[in-house]
Amino acid sequence: MLAFAALATVMLVGAIGVVTLRQPVHAALSLVGTLLALAVAYVQLNAGFLAAIQVIVYAGAIMVLFLFVIMLLALDGDAPPANLAWLRPAAWGAGGLAVVALLAVLLRDPLGPAAPAAIAEVFAGSGVGGVADQLFGRFVLSFHLVGVLLLTGVVAAVGLVQRKAGQAAEARARAGQAGAVPPDAPPLPGREPVEA
Amino acid sequence: MFEPVPPSYWVALSALLFAAGAVGVLTRRSAILVFLSVELMLNAANLSLVAFANQWADAGAAVAMSGQTVVFVVLAIAAAEVAVGLGILVAIFRDRASTDVDVLSEVRA
Repeated sequence: MLAFAALATVMLVGAIGVVTLRQPVHAALSLVGTLLALAVAYVQLNAGFLAAIQVIVYAGAIMVLFLFVIMLLALDGDAPPANLAWLRPAAWGAGGLAVVALLAVLLRDPLGPAAPAAIAEVFAGSGVGGVADQLFGRFVLSFHLVGVLLLTGVVAAVGLVQRKAGQAAEARARAGQAGAVPPDAPPLPGREPVEA
Repeated sequence: MFEPVPPSYWVALSALLFAAGAVGVLTRRSAILVFLSVELMLNAANLSLVAFANQWADAGAAVAMSGQTVVFVVLAIAAAEVAVGLGILVAIFRDRASTDVDVLSEVRA
């Protein structure tokens, strides 16, 4: 019950951060916190495979895409830069701590040759076998449709964002006339004049 | 490791997360923050699906893993949706130099 309460608190604080924080980057990082807490909840609900997918795909790939777009569009332009002098020593400290912790685990329990029984023990109860049975059995049509959807999504995203060669050259020439950027600089996305 | 909690607790937590996401969709003005709130709502639905799958597994149902499989499919669809949605956002920003949904309201039919 205590674990549940702690998990629920982290999730709800993260969710409220997503809804209220003014800086888009802060809101996105707040959502990352909620997603990682959700992964812990999945472990608690006997869905270890989904927990791994949640961390890799959601908190990893999807949120990185969000952060890329937030930074590409420079949505937080007018905020003064924070003084982050403490960040560098703190980062070195955290990195050193991680090295010590990982080496301690490795020295206490050195890696032996991988045995199928040991691997099966790791995946027991994670739901990976059950999900595979369902995915390639009852849900095999969904599986194929999702494959087609992902391919379509990638092609559509590239098509949406791609600029035609003439447009890129035109934007560069316009930026050069304005005097803001030298004419041979690559066009900055999102920094073009509005009358385009 | 953890003592189990009743499924209704998980579903209540999922409802709270979903409500927070809905508030975000309705109140945020930047389209990218609206998008983040939609992701929160998707994840709230996923949490209740996993909780229900766990409940049916406890009851011994043979198709208990269906809930987790649906979450897998939802995750893949969310990934495709994010790719296309952020592509649309970048295209709009190039055109208008803004992602404020109030500025974009003329897009409606």
